[in-house]
Amino acid sequence: MSFLDQVDPEIVDALIADQAERYRAIGDDPLRGREMTDAVNREARDKLPPTAVNITELTIPGPDCELPLAIYQPPGPAPRGGLLWFHGGGYIVGDERDDPPCIEIAEYVGCAVVSVGYRLAPEVTFREIIADSFAALNWMVDHAAELGIDKRRVAIGGRSAGGGLSAGLALYNRDNKGPDLAFQLLIYPMLDDAHDTPSSHEVTYPAVWNRDVSIKAWKMYLGSDFGSDEVSPYAAPTRAKDLSGLPPALVTVGTLDLFRDENIDYAQRLMAAGVATELQVYARVYHGAEMKARDADVSKRMRLGYLEPLRRAIG
Amino acid sequence: MSFIDRIDPELVRALDLMPTERFAAIEDDPPRARQLTEDYQRILRDALPKTDVTIAETSFQGPDCEIPVVIYQPPTPAPRGGLLWMHGGGYIVGTARADYHGVGFAEHACCTVVSVDYRLAPESTYRDSIADCFAALNWMVGNAGELGIDPERIAIGGGSAGGGLTAGLAHYNRDQAGPALKLQLMLYPMIDDRHDTPSGREITHPAVWHRQVSLAAWKMYLGAEYGRDQVSPYAAAARASDFSDLPPAFVTVGALDLFRDETIDYAQRLMAAGVPTDLQVYPGVIHGAELSVPEATVSRRMRSEYRDAVKRAIG
Repeated sequence: MSFLDQVDPEIVDALIADQAERYRAIGDDPLRGREMTDAVNREARDKLPPTAVNITELTIPGPDCELPLAIYQPPGPAPRGGLLWFHGGGYIVGDERDDPPCIEIAEYVGCAVVSVGYRLAPEVTFREIIADSFAALNWMVDHAAELGIDKRRVAIGGRSAGGGLSAGLALYNRDNKGPDLAFQLLIYPMLDDAHDTPSSHEVTYPAVWNRDVSIKAWKMYLGSDFGSDEVSPYAAPTRAKDLSGLPPALVTVGTLDLFRDENIDYAQRLMAAGVATELQVYARVYHGAEMKARDADVSKRMRLGYLEPLRRAIG
Repeated sequence: MSFIDRIDPELVRALDLMPTERFAAIEDDPPRARQLTEDYQRILRDALPKTDVTIAETSFQGPDCEIPVVIYQPPTPAPRGGLLWMHGGGYIVGTARADYHGVGFAEHACCTVVSVDYRLAPESTYRDSIADCFAALNWMVGNAGELGIDPERIAIGGGSAGGGLTAGLAHYNRDQAGPALKLQLMLYPMIDDRHDTPSGREITHPAVWHRQVSLAAWKMYLGAEYGRDQVSPYAAAARASDFSDLPPAFVTVGALDLFRDETIDYAQRLMAAGVPTDLQVYPGVIHGAELSVPEATVSRRMRSEYRDAVKRAIG
């Protein structure tokens, strides 16, 4: 059965409409990949209905340079929970104005969302990117009062590369005794540079996050560490040996996602390490479908599947 | 952290409701365990609210003997979907009067539920249990008209041992070219006689389904095959090597269930074989908790997810 035949009929048109060219560009020509991604994101932003969520852009001092943030504040009384959000894009493309998921989360959960414009590969590698993420977390907690955030209700999360970064930050934050985290939300996180699982070989369809672009992205993100036995667990959390003492986690992924098996394996290891972990895997769903085909039944189920637990954790 | 500390606080009282005596009796005195189980089931039945679902007990001629079945019919117009239900109880105890599920699915998915009193170990072994379930499936489809069932909308399902029978029956039914199935619903299924996973060793608390009682039950269910390298996949579906052409699956389990890892692994293998598979794993949840503490938040979520899955498939 072809890849398209396996996809849930309600979300297949959105997949067919996607451009293989953009995924090729991310792997082969990052600058062009960013341009194309910016255009796609702008279009998605423009289609959003009006919202009562207040969006502000600012910069904070990062570890080496200014770090841009977008802050999404829902109406309603403070203090509220706070989610530090990491956008997707294979560590190569994307920016902090990740309005579609951030607005929905702020509205549904009633929390502040601080979205991080972390530096991107190949200009930098995972070290700088993790450092940016940790700086943003500390900034958010240090400025909790101004942001209307309750320090006891702080979560981290993201999609795809942003999910991988969340998982890496959870490890880094534990090891560096950073702020207490109430939750890590890992939406089809990019965790494993080895790509040695069944699903990582299965997904080669060119107009979705696929094996070819993913391996190229890992090469850029890891730099000279790529292919070595000693890859940092902060970069590729599946490499971590000790998963104990991490914040409660939710892992969600589709069965037609390149990351399916690495996500399931990671969730399973979190559980075995005693971390309270929820795992949701949706049949016939490809990478990113829940935001591309937003009105499909399975997309709504998948989004509610993480919005509800996030609300229980920090709402 | 102790086992009890890891349980969802709303579910902890389940430990007092599940008499350790009953699990001990399964090993030592199956008839007494059946009596204790029936007493417990009656408490669950009596706690159910009034229903419009009609419950009828009947029987049909099985491969070797009469097989009792319980039929749950909702008051909605026929034809409806049909769900063949296999009760839990470690293959040793339990009866088809699984009103909790029978009524629940009939109401929620507007389907007819046929719950089968398959033969139990140690008086018989898996061959008889599977044969009874396959006979019940054929009887249900053969009498679809009378039962108000649309033969194009058939699902099979069960919890615990019933989930294991569901998985085994899906293989058996495929190999015997039996009726087409829209769904196999497996709630924390008992599918692996080896218990050789992290969770298979982790869960030893005597008030939940635990390693020792589970191994004793497998010994009775497999009879002379127990402990061999070659165990039939119809008995222990985790032993199967061919996962192709199985019906779409919905699989769910708690993170504190003895069966957690074998269930996740099984779902993962279904996915790798291209079987559309949903998987939900809930943090802090012990075996069967959604039945013993039905009002807990996580119990409601778990139940509504698996009932919705039946509704989508055959409703």
